[in-house]
Amino acid sequence: MDSLAALLEGFTTALQPQYLLYALFGVFVGTAVGVLPGIGPAMTVALLLPLTYSLDPTGALILFAGIYYGGMYGGSTTSILLNTPGESASIVTALEGNRMAKAGRGAAALATAAIGSFVAGTIATVLLTFLAPGIAKLAVQLGPADYFALMVVAFLTVGALLGSSVPRGLVSLGLGLMLGLVGTEVLSGQQRYTFGVPSLADGIDVVLIAVGLFALGETLYVASRLRHGAVQIIPVTRGWRSWMTRSDWRRSWKPWLRGTAIGFPIGTIPAGGADVATFLSYASERKLAKGRAREQFGRGAIEGVAGPEAANNAAAAGVLVPLLTLGLPTTATAAIIISAFQSYGIRPGPLLFENQSGLVWALIASLYIGNVLLLVLNLPLVGMWVKVLRIPRPYLYAGILAFAGLGAYALHFNVFDTLTLLVVGIAGFLMRRYGYPVAPMVVGGILGPMAEEQVRKSMAISQGDLLYLVHSPFAIIAYSTMAVIVLTGIWLKRRRAKLEAAPKLVPTSAIQAIDEPTK
Amino acid sequence: MTTETPDPAGAPRPAGAGPRRPIGELAFAVVCALLGVGVIVGAGAIRVPSGSASVLGPRVFPYFVGALLLVAAIAVIVAIATGHRGQPDEGEDVDPDAKTDWRAVVLLVAVFCSQLVLIEFVGWPIAIAVVFAGAALTLGAKRWWVAVLVGLGLGLATQLLFGTWLGLSLPAGPLLDWIPIFNG
Repeated sequence: MDSLAALLEGFTTALQPQYLLYALFGVFVGTAVGVLPGIGPAMTVALLLPLTYSLDPTGALILFAGIYYGGMYGGSTTSILLNTPGESASIVTALEGNRMAKAGRGAAALATAAIGSFVAGTIATVLLTFLAPGIAKLAVQLGPADYFALMVVAFLTVGALLGSSVPRGLVSLGLGLMLGLVGTEVLSGQQRYTFGVPSLADGIDVVLIAVGLFALGETLYVASRLRHGAVQIIPVTRGWRSWMTRSDWRRSWKPWLRGTAIGFPIGTIPAGGADVATFLSYASERKLAKGRAREQFGRGAIEGVAGPEAANNAAAAGVLVPLLTLGLPTTATAAIIISAFQSYGIRPGPLLFENQSGLVWALIASLYIGNVLLLVLNLPLVGMWVKVLRIPRPYLYAGILAFAGLGAYALHFNVFDTLTLLVVGIAGFLMRRYGYPVAPMVVGGILGPMAEEQVRKSMAISQGDLLYLVHSPFAIIAYSTMAVIVLTGIWLKRRRAKLEAAPKLVPTSAIQAIDEPTK
Repeated sequence: MTTETPDPAGAPRPAGAGPRRPIGELAFAVVCALLGVGVIVGAGAIRVPSGSASVLGPRVFPYFVGALLLVAAIAVIVAIATGHRGQPDEGEDVDPDAKTDWRAVVLLVAVFCSQLVLIEFVGWPIAIAVVFAGAALTLGAKRWWVAVLVGLGLGLATQLLFGTWLGLSLPAGPLLDWIPIFNG
């Protein structure tokens, strides 16, 4: 009940008109940018970071929460309506949603995605509300060796599970760790890899790594192989009031709940974030579908949109659990959020709920508010998002480049950061081109320095006894869980590759014929 | 965006039969391995304060990072040599069959570089206008004056929003500094 009282207090802060406006603005901008093709949640968050630079911490985090949820939401619209493969977190939505749209059921797909995201987001935020304080209390007792164990788990799962091959993921992680080394090291104050450049003494900001890899790297990569010609968008016909039929509701609510049940726990453990959750949900919905729904899978089954979309948003909230209670980022987006916290001198972790409880609860309250706002915004405004999708690509990517420049320059008002951004961006371009995942690099950049601090503290405590790292039951459990996660993750990835290759394209008229009689 | 996606053709490419020779891919992996070596060598140059109380000095973690990078990069090189090529990323605006447009990449990098000089000499709005217009034209915008006008609009809008309203110190530049709203 403690958390309920604290939450109510959070609401009184977050419902103040000024903060409500921030939440509305964040959700709106987050969705608008998230809808833009080629821009995933991580890039949305990274590009919009400068908006928060001059706000007070509470306002900034509320704005940020809106952007985070909005960016997650926007992606589903893109993958349903745009006639090309979508972004990673909602790629399985693209499988079914895109086909539903082609069969003239785009409105239903959008609605089940939006309502499913709302349901899942709300349930997951409730879970976050009640779980986080307890976990934070437990986490206070963890020693540096335990933290180090957690970070190693995060490194390896993120490095090994994201992307197509384990060594490439680890190279990406290594590059991130390398950038994390640059700067003045905390414990003994030594400069490392700064080459006497004063701007490097403060280290390389994770925002630069994220914006460079996601915004600049992506733009360069897209530019190298740009799809020319008119943008193909599948038209949405019916008005939004009659979007979902009775049968759509009946077929959607169970996948929403199952998606939430799958997404939230996966979001909380460092297992690759929303990506894995959406895939698992898709696979289980496909397995559970019976009769006509079973036939529709691969041709536009509503369950295949409802489940993964719910899982996606539940995972997005789940990611916040280790982020707020342990200070542990498990996705690229979370890494950027952590660095936003740090820029205000706030260190997420177990003490956050004690030292900054007003701030945390206002943030959590704003997640509830953001979810409601998203539901209200998304369904009626879909016509506007469709217009956003139509932005001619040269202008879209020119705009991304301009905002990437702003993000870098606004960090320290120094063009040295712009130069760093460029170098990271070129690396990001090459990594995309040669099949390296970029997210481990972002996570490595922020988690590397933290992990080093913890391992050196442990060694100082134990006077150099390496066994100290595995002395506590917690650390042992963490390492053994890691082994299980990595092995199942690799197995899942093999299955997923098979699954994604499986659905066969059927003429859309045939799908329409299957659906017509039920209306 | 970093996900594994099936090959457009539906089946994995047969070993070593990619459309391009893997020279670029190998070169990138080799550069990563060299960076790993560089990190290890550089770690030796980090000054360890004498009489430091910590058992693990400032060099140990860098050694580890360098070794990780080196070993992982070598594993990638071996993978490429045995035919396990990386799958290029796919995206909504990426044409999987298009040839690499190096001209666009180089021009974009050059356009972005222009900021390094322009922000400080002619100010933020114009620097952004140059970046926007240059990038849009590189990517195939049809009418150059639209690109320039939108770029100028974007530059002024960001200057007003971030510089004037949110209080970030973006330099307005000598051309605009005399207007009171921009140098507030």
